[in-house]
Amino acid sequence: MDTQKVDMFIMSNAKFFESHHLNAIRERLLTVDDSKWPMISTVQLKDPTTSLIISILAGSLGIDRFIIGDTGLGVGKLLTCGGLGIWAIVDWFLIQSATREKNMQVLQQFLY
Amino acid sequence: MTRNKLYLLLISLVTAGYIWLVYSFKTVQDKPMLEGCFIKQISGVPCPTCGTTRSVIAIIKGNYLAALNINPIGYLVIIIMLIVPVWICIDWLLKKHTALTYYKKAEQFIKKPPVAILFILLLIVNWIWNIYKRL
Repeated sequence: MDTQKVDMFIMSNAKFFESHHLNAIRERLLTVDDSKWPMISTVQLKDPTTSLIISILAGSLGIDRFIIGDTGLGVGKLLTCGGLGIWAIVDWFLIQSATREKNMQVLQQFLY
Repeated sequence: MTRNKLYLLLISLVTAGYIWLVYSFKTVQDKPMLEGCFIKQISGVPCPTCGTTRSVIAIIKGNYLAALNINPIGYLVIIIMLIVPVWICIDWLLKKHTALTYYKKAEQFIKKPPVAILFILLLIVNWIWNIYKRL
C-alpha cells in the first residue's frame, strides 16, 4: 500500500493502539494489498477514553468489559459486584490497554 | 485470552470467592456483614447482584427457598464455584483445554442479541426486585 495512505492511517488511528504495536502495524500495512484499504480504513475501533469513562462510572457492573467484547470477564465482574470493588478499581488502570489490545485483534483480521 | 491466563484468573476469582464466603460465614451471625458492594456503599441503592453472599450462605444452610428469595443469582454463583475448580483441575491434569473452548463458546452464545437482551432484562427485573426488597 501507499506510504501516504499508511501514514495517514497511523496518524489518525494512533490513539487506538499500543505504541509498541504501531511500528508493526505500519510495516504490515505497507506490504498489504491495496484492495484491502476500504476495509482497513473503515474498521470499527473502540476508543480507550470512552471505555475508561464507562469503567469509572459503571465498572462494578462489568459494563466496560462487555463494551470491549470481553463478555466472559464482564459476566464475572457483574456476578462478583466488580470483584468486591477491587477488580473494578484495578480495571480503571487496565481497561485502556485492554481496549487497545482488542483493537489490535480486530485489525489483525484484516492484516493477515 | 490464552489458556493459562484464563485458568489463573478463574482460580484466583474462585479462591477469593471462597475466602470471602468463609469470612462472611463467620461474621454474619454476630454483626451485619462487611459491605462488599461499591455501589451500595456510595449510593445506598443495592446493585443487581447484592445479596449473593447471603443467598449462597442460605443455600449452604439448606434454606433453598430463602436463598431464592434473597437473590436467585446465588444459585448461579454456587454452581460456578463448585464446577470451575474441578473442571480446571481435570483440564490441567489431562493437559487439555476444554474449559477454554467452552468459555469461548459461552461468550459467543451470550453475545447473540436475543440472548443478550433476555439476560439484560432478567438482570434489570432482578435489580428492581432487589431495590424493592431493600437488600
